[in-house]
Amino acid sequence: MQTSEVKSKFESILNEQEDVSTGIAAIMTLMEVLKHYNSITIQGLIEELKVAMEAMKDTNYSAAAITSGCELFRRFITLGTMDYHTFDECKEIMLKRGNLFLKKLKEAKGKVMKLGSQFIIDGSKILTHSRSRVVLHTLREAAKQNRYFEVFVTKSQPDDSGIRMCKDLTELNIPCTLILDSAIGYVMEEVDFVMVGAEAVVESGGIVNKIGSYTMAVCAKAMNKPFYVLAESFKFSRVFPLNQSDLPDEYKYSPEMRKRDLSKEHPLVDYTPPALITLLFTDLGILTPSAVSDELIKLYL
Amino acid sequence: MKVAAEKKDIKVETKHIQKSKNEGCELSKSQQTRVTSKKSNSELNTHFITNKEKLNTNIQAPSSILPFIERTKLEESKVKVVKEPEKACIEGLSKAEIKAQRRAIQDAQRNAKINQKSIVNDKQPEKSIKKVENKKAIPLKTEVFKTLDKHRVSLFNHLYFEEFEKLQSLKNFTICNNGVHPVFFKLGEEYRSKSILGSNARCLALLSAFKTLVIDFKTPPNQEFYRSLELTIGVCVSYLNKCRPLAVSMTNAVRTIKLLLTQSDINETDIEKKKNVLERIDRYIQDDIDTAGEAISLRVQEKVSNGDVILTYGYSSLIKRILVDAHKREKRFKVIVLDSRPLLEGKEMLRRLVCNDIPCSYLLINAASFVMSRVTKVLLGAHALLANGYVMSRTGTAQVALVANAYKKPVLVCCENYKFCERAQTDSFVYNEIGDCEALATINTSERSTELVNWKNYKKLAPLNLMYDVTPSDLVTAVVTEIAVLPCTSVPVILRIRPGE
Repeated sequence: MQTSEVKSKFESILNEQEDVSTGIAAIMTLMEVLKHYNSITIQGLIEELKVAMEAMKDTNYSAAAITSGCELFRRFITLGTMDYHTFDECKEIMLKRGNLFLKKLKEAKGKVMKLGSQFIIDGSKILTHSRSRVVLHTLREAAKQNRYFEVFVTKSQPDDSGIRMCKDLTELNIPCTLILDSAIGYVMEEVDFVMVGAEAVVESGGIVNKIGSYTMAVCAKAMNKPFYVLAESFKFSRVFPLNQSDLPDEYKYSPEMRKRDLSKEHPLVDYTPPALITLLFTDLGILTPSAVSDELIKLYL
Repeated sequence: MKVAAEKKDIKVETKHIQKSKNEGCELSKSQQTRVTSKKSNSELNTHFITNKEKLNTNIQAPSSILPFIERTKLEESKVKVVKEPEKACIEGLSKAEIKAQRRAIQDAQRNAKINQKSIVNDKQPEKSIKKVENKKAIPLKTEVFKTLDKHRVSLFNHLYFEEFEKLQSLKNFTICNNGVHPVFFKLGEEYRSKSILGSNARCLALLSAFKTLVIDFKTPPNQEFYRSLELTIGVCVSYLNKCRPLAVSMTNAVRTIKLLLTQSDINETDIEKKKNVLERIDRYIQDDIDTAGEAISLRVQEKVSNGDVILTYGYSSLIKRILVDAHKREKRFKVIVLDSRPLLEGKEMLRRLVCNDIPCSYLLINAASFVMSRVTKVLLGAHALLANGYVMSRTGTAQVALVANAYKKPVLVCCENYKFCERAQTDSFVYNEIGDCEALATINTSERSTELVNWKNYKKLAPLNLMYDVTPSDLVTAVVTEIAVLPCTSVPVILRIRPGE
């Protein structure tokens, strides 16, 4: 597949299927590449997949999510299939595995929803940031169980994704208030807990998420409010940022921004260190930040 | 009589070594260039990890061991040291060459021994050692308490070495010999005088001593090679432990080697067994110490960016290696070396970094909070990583980490996997080591003599020179090991997955 083909395929998956998150879309795209691959060497396939990964990272979607998705694909689908005799056998096994893997990943959100919704009790006030599919679905799940709660959503500059989140929540008949990003400190004293999604969960147990999450976490810590993160385990990625400046540039800036002078550009994501996170709700269970690295070691070693 | 005979033996060795040393110098240079060219092939970190096995075979000369040698060479003027097997592996000769050299060494030693007609291992070692211990234990205890109790800090009473008893037992050891190979007497002296410092250097010295022991070892009649070697190693190690308590790295190395001795095939000839053991020791040095260091260095270099100001404390061979490697990769950064009395290890670090053209500044630990605001990253070495995620390292490390944490600077602890330890510890009292109290009394920086010089005259004065302290895991941002960059809390997971235990 050509680079442009990969890109358009990836983007079309994300546009057509509302429910699919970036990481899964990346894996689906790689599956397409695998399906259409017609040469007969493993080495060639690996090269082709690499090219596809780079192509996807060049789009305007979160590089953090794409990277972790691709890493998982490499780890579980392409690695360890070398002991079959013919390439076609290999390919078949890979496709089979890939489909099974995708099925499992799609179930992940359900598990997270189930765990997360338990923590929303009647009368709670929740603060959330930007738009996250998992958070939205969890709130919907809790509303389905006839719990009454209130949500504050930040407007979340620069893409104003909070406005969309607010609209979605209103459609679900969940009372919600749109607040300014700068009003986080103001509303913090009246909320019960903070619930956010994540683009990637990193090895330290911290998260990489839409810019402003760190501010929210610091505020929550100062006010002693729990800070919950909802994330499926395919978002776990093997990076260990030490601080904000240590985050890879491809995470922080879109491909177009990277062409310009970075000192004048505004980052799109920030890193929230594990010390500020209370719990992470994942399909592996409810984890403390320190358990994330244990799970990652189990996954990759 | 026997002591004199031993001296002769050592002399023979020394001559031989001097020769091989001269040859070695030239060889090692060419070898180094070969190694660097090979390294560049495997620049990518991930690539490196997956191809670990392959790489191990590629690199013949463990470059990390070179600095240790430099260091010991420096100190050889103080204590005459002979260290052959280490040299052999450093020069990175081909296997055949190493074998030839070993054979030559063996021959020389055999001849020397025949002349003296005293063979080290012929006496059954374990029995006599037990006798010696039984004898000394009873009469000495009371005397010791009378003479030495007054200059002790009671909280650390369990850590004090029975100075008197120690010397006595050492004497017993040296006189009766007890199957301790002469190389361990030298090594013990080096440990005691602290001319070999740092847990990597100590462990490497120990392993090379083991190699000498294996080469010289003769199976006692009616005994199996591995079993009797294991016993002899046990005796030698307990002798070393009396000279200075073993480092965690050493305990782990000894355990691994003993384990491989018990797992080995006994249906081989002694020569094959020897070869086997030597190979395994070499592989341990390669895999667990040298290649591990390289992997860590690669990982940390990703974290070092241009314009960084890196603070480090004391002298850690691993940190030095990382900084030098990063500098070679044309990263532009500055280093602040913190140091503390009485060992002033940081001077060594400073010397080596400056030799490599890295911009440095040097301060004592009491200026830590003054410089910390300018620092961007803190890199620390470790003596051991404990099972609860705490870091055991030279005294002062906890203080540096605390200051760094107060200024919210990332603290990276670099530690090879073989230094991980199953013990859990939250304070520095239970397990520690007490250094020479005399070292606190003398201040070589001031011209005037201090009151402290006569500290033994003051009944109530008890100087305390602790060697290690324990840094809580929440002061450490990340631990860098050859497996991964981890938060401290994941140390138990690594311990769990470690093979062979």
